[in-house]
This record gives sequence, C-alpha cells and structure tokens, in this order.
Amino acid sequence: MKQPETKPSDMQHLSVAIQRYRPEQDDTPVWQSYQVPYDDSTSVLDALHWIKEHQDSSLTYRWSCRMAICGSCGVMVDGTPKLGCKTFLRDYPQGLKVAALANFPIEKDLVVDMSRFLQHLTTIKPYLIGEPSLVQAGSASAGSDQPSSAALQPQLQSPEQVKRYQQFANCINCGLCYSACPQFGLNPEFLGPAAIALAHRYNLDSRDQGKAERQPALNSKDGVWSCTFVGFCSTVCPKGVDPAAAINQGKIVSTMDGVIQWFSPKQLDATPQEPTS
Amino acid sequence: MKQLTTDVLIVGGGGAGLRSAIAAAEAQPSLSIHLLSKVYPMRSHTVAAEGGAAAVTLQHDSIAAHFEDTVAGSDWLAEQGVVDFFVKHAYQELVQLEHWGCPWSRQASGQVQVRRFGGMKTERTWFAADKTGFHILHTLFQTSLKYPSIHRLDEYFLLDLLVHEQAIVGVLAIEIASGELLQILASSVILATGGAGRVFQFNTNGGIVTGDGMALAYRHGVALRDMEFVQYHPTGLPGSGILITEACRGEGGILLNKDGYRYLQDYGLGPETPLGQPQNKTMELGPRDKLSQAFWHEQQQGRTIQHPQGDVVHLDLRHLGQRYLLERLPFICELAKAYVNIDPVTAPIPIRPAVHYTMGGILTDAHCATSIRGLFAVGECASVGLHGANRLGSNSLSELLVFGKVAGEQAAAHCSQTKVSDAVMQELTDKAAGPIRQLRQGDGTEQWADIRQQLAQTMEQGCGIYRDEQGLTASLLAIADLKRRYQQLKVGDSGLAFNTELLHALELGFSLDVAEAMCQAALLRKESRGAHQRRDANYTKRNDKNFLQHSLAYYQEDQAPRIDWQAVDCSMMPPAARLYGDAAKQQAASTSEKPV
Amino acid sequence: MSRKPYQPSMPADWWLKHPAYRFYMLREATVLPLLFFIGSLLYGLYCLSQGEASWLVWLSWLQQPWVMALNGLALVASLFHAFTFFRLFPQVMPLRVGSRTLPAGWMIAGQWFGVLLVFLALWWLLGAYHVIN
Ligand SMILES: Cc1cc2nc3c(=O)[nH]c(=O)nc-3n(C[C@H](O)[C@H](O)[C@H](O)COP(=O)(O)OP(=O)(O)OC[C@H]3O[C@@H](n4cnc5c(N)ncnc54)[C@H](O)[C@@H]3O)c2cc1C
Ligand code: SF4
Ligand code: FES
Repeated sequence: MKQPETKPSDMQHLSVAIQRYRPEQDDTPVWQSYQVPYDDSTSVLDALHWIKEHQDSSLTYRWSCRMAICGSCGVMVDGTPKLGCKTFLRDYPQGLKVAALANFPIEKDLVVDMSRFLQHLTTIKPYLIGEPSLVQAGSASAGSDQPSSAALQPQLQSPEQVKRYQQFANCINCGLCYSACPQFGLNPEFLGPAAIALAHRYNLDSRDQGKAERQPALNSKDGVWSCTFVGFCSTVCPKGVDPAAAINQGKIVSTMDGVIQWFSPKQLDATPQEPTS
Repeated sequence: MKQLTTDVLIVGGGGAGLRSAIAAAEAQPSLSIHLLSKVYPMRSHTVAAEGGAAAVTLQHDSIAAHFEDTVAGSDWLAEQGVVDFFVKHAYQELVQLEHWGCPWSRQASGQVQVRRFGGMKTERTWFAADKTGFHILHTLFQTSLKYPSIHRLDEYFLLDLLVHEQAIVGVLAIEIASGELLQILASSVILATGGAGRVFQFNTNGGIVTGDGMALAYRHGVALRDMEFVQYHPTGLPGSGILITEACRGEGGILLNKDGYRYLQDYGLGPETPLGQPQNKTMELGPRDKLSQAFWHEQQQGRTIQHPQGDVVHLDLRHLGQRYLLERLPFICELAKAYVNIDPVTAPIPIRPAVHYTMGGILTDAHCATSIRGLFAVGECASVGLHGANRLGSNSLSELLVFGKVAGEQAAAHCSQTKVSDAVMQELTDKAAGPIRQLRQGDGTEQWADIRQQLAQTMEQGCGIYRDEQGLTASLLAIADLKRRYQQLKVGDSGLAFNTELLHALELGFSLDVAEAMCQAALLRKESRGAHQRRDANYTKRNDKNFLQHSLAYYQEDQAPRIDWQAVDCSMMPPAARLYGDAAKQQAASTSEKPV
Repeated sequence: MSRKPYQPSMPADWWLKHPAYRFYMLREATVLPLLFFIGSLLYGLYCLSQGEASWLVWLSWLQQPWVMALNGLALVASLFHAFTFFRLFPQVMPLRVGSRTLPAGWMIAGQWFGVLLVFLALWWLLGAYHVIN
C-alpha cells in the first residue's frame, strides 16, 4: 500500500468517523472517530489501512486491487456509495463518515453480505447461450503452422456490435448501485441494477441467442418493473455502466414481449423453449 | 468442524482456477467440483491485467516465431517442450474465450484485433480495450455459472494441505465469515493461488497476492523453482505501484528522462524509432527487464525526475491524441487522473519500475502435476516452465487458459476414491490447524503490520532490480530475524467472524517463506540472467556453463532453503545471445545467411 | 455462532436522507400540481356545458390569486418534469446513427427544440384566433 514519503507527523490530519459493528460484541452499529494523516493522494482505503495498522487492528473491510477494478471496497462515504480506493480525503476537507454499504446485511464493520447480489447475478444467466456457428468464412486465420485448422474459429463481430453492449460489460460487481437503490432496499428480491445490466449486456451481444431464457426473470415482478427510475444507481456507478439505462431499455423490451405475446396466436405456449443443441 | 467431500478441489478463483474448474466440469460432468477462494472469484488479481493475451493469429506470424520470442525472452531458461505445447494451444484457448463471450477488441471487418507487445516480433496480443484481464476473468466467472457441478466456496481461506504418504487427501480451510474450520476431502487438488508480488514494497499486485499456495506446497516438500526471477514492470505509478500497461508503449508511448531524452537508446535497445512508429522489440518495446534496468542506471546517474513519491521518468502519450487514447487506453486515462492527477492527453505520466510478476513457483511437470500425487498447480503460483528467467508480457494470461485446461483435465482424470482412515485424517487436520491455533492464542508483542513492512523493505533493498552478495545476505538475515519475531505475533482482534487481521498474519507467514526462497535462490545464482541481475564483479554476465539450470528451493524448517539445480530442456533451440533493437536484426540477418 | 449479520431497515423517511432521493421525490411530486391543473380544466369543461353564466364563474374562479398560483406551480412542475424526463430519455432510448450513438446532450437539446416548436405553434394559433375575432 501507499507509503507517503513524508512522515505522518508532519502531515495534515483529518477526522474520519467509521461505523463499527462487531457481531460478537455489538447489537447495533456504533460510530468511532479517528484522526488520520493525509496528503493529496490519500484514498479512503489508504485511510482505513492506516487505522488498521496504527490505531485499531480489528477494523475490518474488504479490498484487493486498490485500483478500482476488483470491486471489493465499496463503502458509504457521507451517505453516498463509493469505492474506497477511488475516493480521496482531499475532497472532504471537513472530515468524512464511512459506513458499510447500505441495503445489505452487515457482517462486520464495513463488510457486508453479498450473497444476495451474487444470487441475482446467477439468476439472469450471464453467459452466451446458443450454438455458435463453428467456422465463419473470412475469420481471422491463424499463422501458417497452426496445428488444427478445422478447429474452432472466432465469430465475427464488428466494432459497432461490440459497442452496443460494451458499456454494460464494464460492470465490476461492486454493488454500489444496490446501495443506491431504494427499491432494492425495500425489496431485496428485486434483481437490481447490476444483474439487469448484465442480462442486457448478453441480450445485446450479437453472438447470443439466450434472450428468451433470460426474459422471464426480467419480466417478473422482481425484474425490470420493480424499478421506478430513481436513477441514483447510474450516478454512483464508478464505471459508467449506467444500469438505469439498461433497466429502462429492458422495460421497453419487456413491453414489446408483452405486446407480441398478446397478439401471438399460440399465447399459451409462449413460454421459452430450451434451445436445441 | 465442518466437513465436505468432493472430487476435484480447486483453490483460487483467478483465471487459472476458473479455467481449470470449467475444464474439469466439461471433461467429466458427473464429478463434483469445488472452487475455493479467499475472495469472490471476480476480485482475483487476474482482474487487474490490462494489456492482453498472446497467441499466433496473423497470417504472416508463425508458431515458430512465438516459440523463439518466448525462449529468447526467458533467456533460455524456459522448458522448450512446454513452450512448444503452449504456443500451439494458445490460439484455440483465446478463440474458446471468444465463444464464451469475451468482448475482444475488433477490426472494422469484425475479426479479432491484435496489438504489439514488448519482446514479441509480431503483433499477436489479443486485447479487450485495456481491461483484458478484467474481461477474461468476468467471462470465465460468468461462464462457470453455467455448470451445475461447479460449487463455489467464496471467501474461504486455505490454511493447509492434507498430505498422506506423498498423496493429497484434502485440505483444511477456514470460512472467513464465521471463522469456522472446514475440512475438505479430495483426491485431486489444484493450487491456482496466484503470485507473491506483495512481498515487495512497490508492486503492481493486489493485497491478496501473498504467495499462499506457493508457501503451502513448499512446506510440504514440493520444490519452488526459479524463485529468484521476479519481474519488475517498468511502468508503475509512483507511490502506489499501480500498473500503467505496456500497451501504452505498444500503441506508441515513449519514455523520457529528465532532459526529455529517450534514454533507452543508450541501453542496447536503439536506434531511436520515429515518434508514432513503434517497432517490435526495439526501444520502448524492448523486454521489461531491460527497461527496468535502464531506469535503474538513469537513476544512478541522476537523470530521473523528482516526484513527491520518489524518482520517476515520464511516459509520454500526448502525441496519440485524445480520441485514440480514449478508445484504446480508457482505463489508463482513468487511473492516471485518479491516482496521480494527470491527464495523459495533456501531460506525461510519471512512472517508475514496480514488482509485477513471479516467474518462479511450485514445480510442476508439463501436465501441471507436482511431486505430491493428486496435487496440481497452475497459473502464476506454478512453475510449469514457460517463463524461465523473464516472462514476456501477455504470455501469462494465455498460460492461465492453456494450462488451466490441462490442470482441470488432469485433475478430473486423476481423482479417485480416497481411502484414508478417520484417525489419520484427524491427525493431519490437527497438525494443519496448528498455526492458526497458535496465532489465535499467541500473546507476544509483535504486530503483523510492522513485520510485513520490514519484509517489503528488505526485499526491495536486497533483492531488487540489481542484486549482490552483500545485499542478499543482509536480506536473508533480516528475514530470519523477522521469522523469529513472527513467532511472537499478537493478533489484536480476538473475534472469530471475518477476522482479517488473523488472515493477514497467516498471509505474512506464507510471504516470509516465499521471500526467503527468493533470496536464497538469488544468492546462489552467481550470474546475471533475465530478471536476475547481479552487480558482483564476476556475476554480471550470463554464465551458461554453470547456470543454464533451474534453481529448486526445498523447504527446511528453521533455516534457509536448500537449493538444488535442475537441467533445462533446450532440445529445440540452443542458447544464443539475447538481443533487442538493431543488434537483434543484425543477428537475425547473419543467422539467416548461414546455410542450413 | 460467531456470525450475526445486522440487517439494517429502511427508515420510513428514507427519501429525505439523500439529495438524490429528495430530487427523485420532487420529480414524482410534480404530479400533484398537475392533478390540480387537470381538475381545473375539467371544472372548466363542466362549466362550459352549463352555459355562459357558469363559464364566466369559472373564468373569475381562475383569476383568483391562489388558483393562479397553483396553476403557475403546475406550469413550473411540468417544465421541471420535462427537464428530468428529457434527461432520462436518451438513457431509455439511445438513438444510433450509423455506428455512433447520438450524444445525450444532442437528444436533450432536440427535445427542448421540440418544446419550442410546440410553443411557437400554439402562439401562432392563438394569434390567428385573435385576428379572427
Ligand atoms: C497489474 C497487472 C497487469 C497484468 N497484465 C497482464 C497482461 O496484460 N498480460 C498477461 O499475460 N499477464 C498480465 N499480468 C499477469 C497475470 O495477470 C497474472 O499472472 C495472472 O492473472 C495470475 O492469475 P492466477 O489465476 O494465477 O492468479 P490470481 O488471479 O491472482 O488468483 C489467485 C486466486 O487464488 C486465491 N487464493 C490465494 N490464496 C488463497 C488462500 N490462501 N486461500 C484461498 N484462496 C486463495 C485468490 O482468492 C484468487 O482467487 C498482469 C498482472 C498484474 C498484477
Ligand atoms: S453497475 Fe456500476 S455500480 Fe453497479 S455493480 Fe456494476 S460497476 Fe458497480
Ligand atoms: S480495492 Fe479493488 S476496487 Fe477498490
């Protein structure tokens, strides 16, 4: 982790209040304040490290990459969901309050139980569905002495086709959007922003044929229609995924589905079929 | 204590672990497969890889060329049979990933695009913008959800392997959330626990990259091979060490010293290439070890730039223009703005070398098998023999896939009904729980944070870009002392639930062992090769006569490891000088003139 | 059991807790003055059907300060709602031209331009009405 060159004693200090919850001794979370040395580059995560190493080794939080890509370090900073490693003390000259991500059960201090989130991700079948065409004419051919030329070849996909879904593929599963979403807070069964964005990502992929399999979950009452477009999820997303857009584009898809089903003569067997392979 | 029985247990949810889980599930769908990881799989450090994954792709490229680049890059310390297998299978694996949905960057025609990468003759690096590892990891993770036989144990920490009569019979782990122990019975176990870069001060690695799997296999008698080879990446951000991908240079970025001079031309990498026309294996696209060493020399001569977080040089991307930068290197722009407050469109990025990759690791054969029956190792924690003395950028992501598949299939084929008596299991488990028991009860005065900090410092000082006998000996002494102090550790947090202090203490124990193996192997390799550079008078050159050999470190309790030497497979391409820039072209010209 | 997850509950006044939620509630609340406006219109229609006297009563009712204020508020509310709606629209219905997605800023500007056109058309219609009379 970052070791400031100057000694902590010469540095400015800032008051960082942290919501603590130690399951083996607390019944409800309590606030605790620390004075933390900082400079221009000190992130909230660095501040947590400093506290853990110098003041209170039992302080508990998740982290790994410290470069805003692994999605571990989500916390509430002054009531707004943020990545600890991408939020800097310099932006809070009056001090700041750090708490566990809202809307999730708290395991300990800043660590929340993410299992519901993972479950929602799994529900929407986030993988390519359907048989890819094995050999595409004109696809990139491997070098001259490539062993088995009859083997799998890449499918074609134009940069425009990639662009259609790319934004929604940039989700780092940090869960900030779930903390920003009052609908998820009220109803944890709501699939939620990131899961729906991921479903949308695969639905928009030109290589995918799985929309029919994903749609039932998306159309259900805990799917897109739980969203009232508060839009805060997209504001807090650190990766510009814009999950609110995905959900509300999903509502249009869902409506079209409904209309098509309404007019479809075989209304009764409109349930999606397993793709034949 | 909870118990669980499974067929194949995979420890590690990074690229290597996920690929082997899928391979095992595809090989034998009836097997029960458990994937255990101390963080959710998508937090694994594979996520941070930016640049890309290598495979021969273009018509004018060839398997032979990729082979040559890899072997030369390794300074002839790669296992050539392994390299040959690797280069022949890399392409299929990247295509497989394409079929699983990886958003590879494309050409206008819809074909997959490849970029230049350091040390590679030809463009052959597949990429997904500058978040290749992120996309590979998420694609694998999401694809793994398709297989009902893959069960995940997220946020479980591996404490020890259970080994009986030279065969693996299971592992002991701890459920982090509750602090409860879990005994897992399995006759096939794959270690895919990643590297150990965190034993150094400045590094590009995530907090979880602490060498756990390496240390555990090592303590059970498996050799750690080629541990002295630690790759510095020439372009990390000052202070944090956050990586600025090599792709920046592949796209045409240049390195400048304090005089605005492209200093690499003074270090055998020239001549200077025109701005905006990067050339493979020349100047900024030379291999990482050479670039990091050049920085060291510039620093010695006072030609680096002062930065609040230490000495730096400049990586200049400005000539690429805003539009190109945002399309090709969006993540780099984001990182530079957040962590050093620089917009690469308008200002050069300050950078310095940072420890990046551990070439060495758990000794395996070409099929990822270790010397313990049923125990396999793959990915950065393993030494299958691909990287030798220096890894070429973008070879390791492909390695995760190619050998992840091998390991998964091998493990699936190997698994059998374990028959070990309950008494033996009990005894093994008791022993395995020793260290954690000791830490929980420990009542010393030492803090893990102090020891960890001093370990990182001594590694940086004694085992850095340049090494010598004096520095290495000092580091070894320091580590021995830290290991003694480690016995006096006091874990302040006495809770069971989510006790990260306890986990950090355990990781520190692993790191100490791994660091010691690195220093000892470095001390005894009395030559300079690849990433291992000695300053002692007689050791500044490569010495094939005595050291065209792998080092093997064997664990010894209470003293530094015993080092053995193992012959290198050089059956296909005999050792030659490792040259870059114009020198390489001349060499190529002169060899092609020779009659065959 | 060492595990004892703490389940925080949503306070009833959650929507007061963050500027983003207050903004959202304000957007949703624009419906209230609009309801009043629709009510006044319906009342007007009813009066119209009751003959001229009744119509005049409605007109003078409309000119009461509190009614004017509420209808003014409805106008502001509808403009505010339009503002939020126009901002969200590009998220819901991104428009692609060739290979590029139209920048959100353009779409928002386009929608306001549409509003301007409607205003101008109304203006013109009202002007024509005055000329006829
Ligand atoms: C910043 C950066 C950029 C890179 N860029 C490139 C690139 O462009 N191209 C390239 O080819 N390579 C690149 N590399 C190298 C490459 O990314 C890594 O070598 C590779 O991702 C390692 O993958 P892995 O699966 O072996 O390990 P990891 O992804 O590190 O995964 C290790 C797994 O093991 C688990 N684990 C570890 N210890 C324990 C324990 N005690 N108990 C339970 N679980 C445990 C962890 O939870 C994790 O899931 C880069 C590396 C870094 C650091
Ligand atoms: S959509 Fe954004 S905020 Fe939500 S989990 Fe993904 S990256 Fe995080
Ligand atoms: S530590 Fe990985 S996202 Fe912050």
